[in-house]
Amino acid sequence: MSLLDRVPVDRTRVGTWLERYALQVTALVTAAVLVVMLYVPVGVVFVNAVVEDGVPTLEHVAAVLTDPFYFGALADVFADPLVIRTHLGSLAAWLGAVSISVSLEYPIPGVSLPVPWPGVEMPDVRTGLFGFTAYQAALSTAASVALGLPAAYVLANYEFYGRRTLRSLTILPFVLPGIMVAVGFYAMFGRAGTLNTLLGLVGIGPFAFIEAAPLAVVILAHAFYNAPLVARLTVAAWESVDVRTVETARSLGASKRRAFRDVVVPQLVPAVLTGALLTFIFTFMTFPIVLALGGLQLATVEVWIYDRIQRLDVVEAATLAILETILSLGLTYAYLRYESAQAGFSQAASRPAREALFPDLRTACSPRRLAIVGYGLVALVLFVGPMASLVVGSVTDGSGLTLRNYAFLLERQLEGASFQTLPLPAIRNSLLFGVATLAVAVPMGVVLSVLTVRAGRSGTVIDTLAMLPLAVSGVVFGIGLLQGLVFGVSLPGGWRLQITGAVAIVVAHAVAAYPFVTRNVSPLLANLDPAMVESARALGASRLRALLDIELPLVAHGIVAGAAFAFAISIGEFSSTVILASGSESYTMPVAVERYLGRRSGPAIAMATVLLVVTAASFVVIDRVGGRGDP
Amino acid sequence: MKRRTFVATLGGGSALGLAGCLTQEGGSDDGTLTVVTYESMLDGENPAGPWLKDAFEDEHSDAELEWELLPDQGINHYIERADRDVGIDADVYLGLNIDDLVSVDDNLEDGGLFQSLESDRLERADRVRDGLEMGDPHDRVLPYDTGYISLVYDESEVDEPETFEALTEPEYEDALLAQNAQSSDPGQAFLLWTIDAFGEDGYLDYWRDLDDNGVRILEDWTESYYGAYMEEERPMVVSYSTDQVFASAEGNDLTRHQIAFPNGQGYANPEGMAIFDDATSIDLAYDFFEFVLSNDAQAEIAQRNVQFPAVEDEYVDLDEEFDQYAHVPPEAVTVGYDDLRGNLDGWVDDWAREFAGQ
Repeated sequence: MSLLDRVPVDRTRVGTWLERYALQVTALVTAAVLVVMLYVPVGVVFVNAVVEDGVPTLEHVAAVLTDPFYFGALADVFADPLVIRTHLGSLAAWLGAVSISVSLEYPIPGVSLPVPWPGVEMPDVRTGLFGFTAYQAALSTAASVALGLPAAYVLANYEFYGRRTLRSLTILPFVLPGIMVAVGFYAMFGRAGTLNTLLGLVGIGPFAFIEAAPLAVVILAHAFYNAPLVARLTVAAWESVDVRTVETARSLGASKRRAFRDVVVPQLVPAVLTGALLTFIFTFMTFPIVLALGGLQLATVEVWIYDRIQRLDVVEAATLAILETILSLGLTYAYLRYESAQAGFSQAASRPAREALFPDLRTACSPRRLAIVGYGLVALVLFVGPMASLVVGSVTDGSGLTLRNYAFLLERQLEGASFQTLPLPAIRNSLLFGVATLAVAVPMGVVLSVLTVRAGRSGTVIDTLAMLPLAVSGVVFGIGLLQGLVFGVSLPGGWRLQITGAVAIVVAHAVAAYPFVTRNVSPLLANLDPAMVESARALGASRLRALLDIELPLVAHGIVAGAAFAFAISIGEFSSTVILASGSESYTMPVAVERYLGRRSGPAIAMATVLLVVTAASFVVIDRVGGRGDP
Repeated sequence: MKRRTFVATLGGGSALGLAGCLTQEGGSDDGTLTVVTYESMLDGENPAGPWLKDAFEDEHSDAELEWELLPDQGINHYIERADRDVGIDADVYLGLNIDDLVSVDDNLEDGGLFQSLESDRLERADRVRDGLEMGDPHDRVLPYDTGYISLVYDESEVDEPETFEALTEPEYEDALLAQNAQSSDPGQAFLLWTIDAFGEDGYLDYWRDLDDNGVRILEDWTESYYGAYMEEERPMVVSYSTDQVFASAEGNDLTRHQIAFPNGQGYANPEGMAIFDDATSIDLAYDFFEFVLSNDAQAEIAQRNVQFPAVEDEYVDLDEEFDQYAHVPPEAVTVGYDDLRGNLDGWVDDWAREFAGQ
């Protein structure tokens, strides 16, 4: 549709006013929502750390920074930062003690295949809780990128039966409650789990995967959550690569590989880095997964924050949370600086054609196709395995097949009392909140993108602040919502600001979700040629009109990708929902899963399966409707 | 949906009809008793809550019992409400344990949140077994059931450990699954049990020995039991002495569900009920307490909640199957209120720092 068809339409004065100021109004509403739902609750908690009896203090921060339990060897540096020579001396001594050796090892049990194994001997260094948390987050990020990129490559470049459905379903791991992922992982990778049963068929094993390498399994579980995130972000970027730029490079004599490296890769890097950044932040703040699979030995900072909150030591919890937030926001800022420094690529909706995955038998045996098959097997074990094990667990018990768990859900639905948790309202609430979250988060995210994209350095700062929901500890956000909104904030004149129930849940979900819209849309928007908007404005279009008719259609992929995330986050969100829904009928599917967990896990696993099925169906629908332009 | 609206209207109507009557008796009772309780009382399979509501309302035809689900933060939710003077609507808290009571008194004024019970108003209070009293100096809480923490083991893989020391021997290397005392009730109970056995000065040494012998500490009972134990990662887990009741109902092989009481002990975790300071339906609350300690209610709570009754045997008839599969330890131990006061947080913190991030 051309610009001229759209612009000259009769409008009322209100309409004109609205159109002129719509962006500003939306921005104000967005700011108000952020203040009420994010800055106030988080501020209420953070103040505890830096204010004592009304007087600002850094005492608590200093106490944490200099505690070797939290910062290990760094604590000495924080305690006495000026004796640089001493610190350098101990660093040198440590480096001097590092030795590297190569030995022959037999890494595969039962197979006598000698492999030269590099051994690095490092003297123990005390990393402290923060050090360990960062270490496992870095490993988890590397694993998520390594497992996510091949998926993105296959989904963006090959055509095969069920590709679009598979692409829709990559979001599924995202919505599973942590506890169900743990149960699924044990059912898949446990000593008596599905994988060992399969290996047993060919006479290998059983292996105690989880017992032997808990850290590796925790990292895989983090990849289970986050590799799909990396894949989804990268696919969206890959699909918006303008194929003509590749063709130009080729026609100028670049080899296929060279064209890929010089033209395609630079356009994917921001998406991959966004995925890596989000993964690092998420896994830095991981809580239930590390304890459920790894145990207390692999505890993270967030575990400690939760414990401090449980023991009503809000001061230390807030101090830890502030340090955590500074770290994540610092990373975010650094990334955003990098992103805005990237040269712009003009992009058009002319995306590369997809090859058939298995056109004929000969091609199917090429190394590349075989590598894809190999990756498919890994993905099957890691992603499908735990979810399939859950589904199987819902229809079996100690003595074989049973439908008892589903009978429980049905009976609860038909005969449950009003104070009990019913399955259908949970499904209905989840879907309603999901759709409502879309309606709130997508405009919020887009407006923030528009406002920050062309604002230069100050835009980066605003953008960083807008990422705060991701950088704040979930536990602290929950307690802030409780203290700030559920209990209420006293206002002058005897008023009390209290927000609970469905509206509060939707807004909380939207606050958690809009950064994904922003992160999906901003890089695309930044790469658009500003001249297009300027021409439209010169022709008399309002800023809103230019946005709706010129910019948004060109960044539609990003919006759909962001919207899918927003929906998924709303469906899967647990910690703030459970706080805002307590005592009301606004519970969602993940909340129902937790409530059905008792001395028998069957009903909860059945509910988790319902959650998977409903979400899978919604995603196929969303991607079909939202991705209409997708061939 | 319609049916529920109808019932609610009916219930509301009868409550209104009664309100005048009860006010005349002096209290501000409106005929509705609001009781806070934990999820499994209301939402598991065959929970006790719905039965209690119906039976109580049958007995008190002019009263209505309204359940309120305990929020995720547990007792902390009410401690914070009280601390900030945000009112509490509920009358009764069902499911209070000693640790909760200590938490209340460590964070609010001593003796806060709940009112002292007038024992002469409770005829059936005498029925409560010895050893279940929680040692509250302010008499705010009345026990209604108890569970025992014990070990559950697979007899085809390991023998029953006779003592705590045995768990540090090579025979039990990499055998035991425990829970994080920071985030789990049975985990904290097991930690307190070792403090009872080895003393405040000895328990960390014992745990270091357990650590050397490969103890694994997972987040919660659910993860350790359904995740690790049932998937046969390990042959022994810290759990409840009523485990066989579930195992036999599920048709599981009982060899993997043997109960061990090291040192001949189990750690008792009595659960009690208390009346909030702000409660309005106080008379009804006392009626409810009397009812909960009656023979029928005690049997139903025990069997549906799979915990042991709080009253002496003569006041309760349990199914044979329950008697057969629910095991009582020869000796029950509990770290009492006085010992926990001001110590609990420090004990758990020292223990957790021993294991984490190192």
